[in-house]
Amino acid sequence: MSGEQDRDLLAAEYVLGSLEGDERREAERLLSVDPAFAHSVSAWQQRLTPLAAQVAPAAPPADLWRRIERGIAPAATVAISPFRRRARFWQATTAGALAIAAALAAFMVLRQPEQTRVALLAPLAGGPPVLMARVERGDGLVVRPTTSIAVPTDKDLELWALPQGETKPRSLGVLPPSGRQLTAQLAPGTQLMVSLEPKGGSPTGQPTGPVLYGGWLTNIEIPRG
Amino acid sequence: MNAATSDDTAVLLHRCAGGDRAAFRLLYDRWGSRLYGIALRITRQPALAADALHDAFLQIWQQARRYDPARGGAEAWMVGMVRYRALDIVRRQAREIPGYEPEEREDGSPDALARLVSTTEGAALHRCLKELEEERRRLVVMAFVDGLSHSELAVQLRLPLGTVKSWIRRSLMQLRGCLAS
Repeated sequence: MSGEQDRDLLAAEYVLGSLEGDERREAERLLSVDPAFAHSVSAWQQRLTPLAAQVAPAAPPADLWRRIERGIAPAATVAISPFRRRARFWQATTAGALAIAAALAAFMVLRQPEQTRVALLAPLAGGPPVLMARVERGDGLVVRPTTSIAVPTDKDLELWALPQGETKPRSLGVLPPSGRQLTAQLAPGTQLMVSLEPKGGSPTGQPTGPVLYGGWLTNIEIPRG
Repeated sequence: MNAATSDDTAVLLHRCAGGDRAAFRLLYDRWGSRLYGIALRITRQPALAADALHDAFLQIWQQARRYDPARGGAEAWMVGMVRYRALDIVRRQAREIPGYEPEEREDGSPDALARLVSTTEGAALHRCLKELEEERRRLVVMAFVDGLSHSELAVQLRLPLGTVKSWIRRSLMQLRGCLAS
């Protein structure tokens, strides 16, 4: 069997949901870095999703919408109570989220209460966040991976910012897989994304490769605890 | 879900991408119960299903701009969002609770696949699933619908793990071929 067929089968098993352990992590990693794999996953979702029609709908808890509403919208401030630091919005359901929770916890301890902006960048095809971006001192941006990101040797990741209401993203430069610190004025609601580009970054000033990850900068408020 | 509704969903997603919260609410009204049902079937606990739905909708809002109709229907995209969050939760639970074993669960009714026939894609999948041997078909359906892992399926159906893996792989290859024809 060719490698390509093996990959397609792994994509199929990922969509089916039967993978576990290392195989599942490998599929999630490929989903983040390999556009062809992400394409396979989309195709298998199309094939298998009709099976979901078998499941009977059930009414979600009445308060769930309010919880969701609190979590969305860049304009909204997500208050994290000092006594309930495992705020659900950040308590994402993935291993990567542990790193994010740790980062936020350290941030809460070391810094005076203040407002800041963070974005979780997740693979577009679905999957857990792989990068966390945090605004520091107004015009600093720290981008850190929450999991290891593999980039083909002949490629680079490039970070982009798309302010709300604009249609063309602005390059924030090449992003090493280990993360980066940079200077940029970014308003809440700005969308951050990462594309796969030729070595050295996009030659055109706009993304030329597939956009792999994306997320919005959202205000969070960390009160005195 | 018929094509027209799926198109409506694509429109709502497009509006969400532009920051339209009213469209997001409509999306929740339209999909909340269905996606919650899917999450509940996988997690089997209302609190975990609610967490999965919550995380899925935040991700839907954040990534609505990424939804590309050219790459597939909105239904598959929406359903995928909640399934992967629910699977994250149950896989983590399996890992963190030592000796965790899934509880026995009842088989789906023999005509459980009948609902598939209501859409064109569903009818094709139904036809192709029927070409699989019954036990293999059960594996595929239980994995997708109940979110059971290879090892959970092995316990549940009292089959060797290697058999479960190879039957699933062969079934998926057979489905791919059948659906392409």
